[in-house]
Amino acid sequence: MADPNKVDPIHQFQITNIVQFGDGGLALTNSALFMVLTVAVIAVYLLLSTQKRSIVPNRVQLISEMLYEFVAKMVSDSAGTAGMKFFPFVFSLFMFVLVANMFGMIPLFFTVTSHIIITFALAMLVFGVVIVYGFMKNGPKFLKLFVPSGVPGYVLPIVVPIEVVSFLSRPISLSVRLFANILAGHITLKVFAGFIVTLGGLGFLGWLGALLPLVMTVAITALEFLVAALQAYVFAVLTSMYINDAIHPSH
Amino acid sequence: MARKRMTEPQVPKRSRVKPEASPLTSDLASRIARAQGERKATDDHASPAATQNLSAISRGVRLGSEFIAAILVGWGIGYGLDLVLGTRPWLMLVMLMVGFAAGVLNVVRSAAQMNRAEPPPATARGPDDEDAD
Repeated sequence: MADPNKVDPIHQFQITNIVQFGDGGLALTNSALFMVLTVAVIAVYLLLSTQKRSIVPNRVQLISEMLYEFVAKMVSDSAGTAGMKFFPFVFSLFMFVLVANMFGMIPLFFTVTSHIIITFALAMLVFGVVIVYGFMKNGPKFLKLFVPSGVPGYVLPIVVPIEVVSFLSRPISLSVRLFANILAGHITLKVFAGFIVTLGGLGFLGWLGALLPLVMTVAITALEFLVAALQAYVFAVLTSMYINDAIHPSH
Repeated sequence: MARKRMTEPQVPKRSRVKPEASPLTSDLASRIARAQGERKATDDHASPAATQNLSAISRGVRLGSEFIAAILVGWGIGYGLDLVLGTRPWLMLVMLMVGFAAGVLNVVRSAAQMNRAEPPPATARGPDDEDAD
């Protein structure tokens, strides 16, 4: 930012090259760096915390076990026992989104999930897994997903396109939801924090007025932590529901 | 505590061990049975309880994004087909309507799912609620 008095809430989402490899435009960006950091933190934490495998877990191991059981219950609740073979997939997605969101709450850190291309790539991964596994397991019967049972034949030309569009809209709603929540939250936070600085420049009355956005910023920060955890949960729940559709295609 | 145990005679204590142990083991057995029952219940089907504990914001955003996503997808398919077939703008208009219907379907489905997971409070129901569903 050139002008320190100008509030620029979008600046935090800018992608910059950190290390450039050759002239081809290939580079390690801040987004890539934080994705690597996210994966590294998850891997190191889970490996170290479960290394002792004590029967009575200490606090660190307990957190890992709680995360495991939380996701395992979520998957078996929404996709049944047959869905548990996708537990590693859902758990990886959940941990990645959760840790990436939480990284975003640390000041000066880049928020990976605030870019739609990242969330869309994750959603397309889910979508691809659902389609490939659905056809692998059910064969052409997977297409029953688009034909609701108990619908008379003459309505099918209308119902089937609607079902197809509804199915195709899933990766978009999945990715837009995560991206929009995180992006909007971070922008709101920046805007309210910017009000404090702007009002603070107006003298004593300005300082009094700046108390309001200050309170607001603290409240929104708490809300953002909630949103960060909740969106990771929602992403994982919907993933396991879509996987349920791949396993049991009839509604 | 130690004094009490010392003064207590040994014989009644031993006799007390047996009835004490059996509720303990029967409790464990019932817990195992309950856990197995839960496991069997989730064996083959999805339970509707998966979307519980969602806050109001996330419910709203979920419904909104599903509605908009379907419209966007419908519009995109129609626009693409128009470009390929050269029928501008008719397929786009048709698919926009299909996308709108799919959006309504998405919203109704997820709302029904949320209601199954967490039935709305009785006060929120209208007088003519029995013909709903």
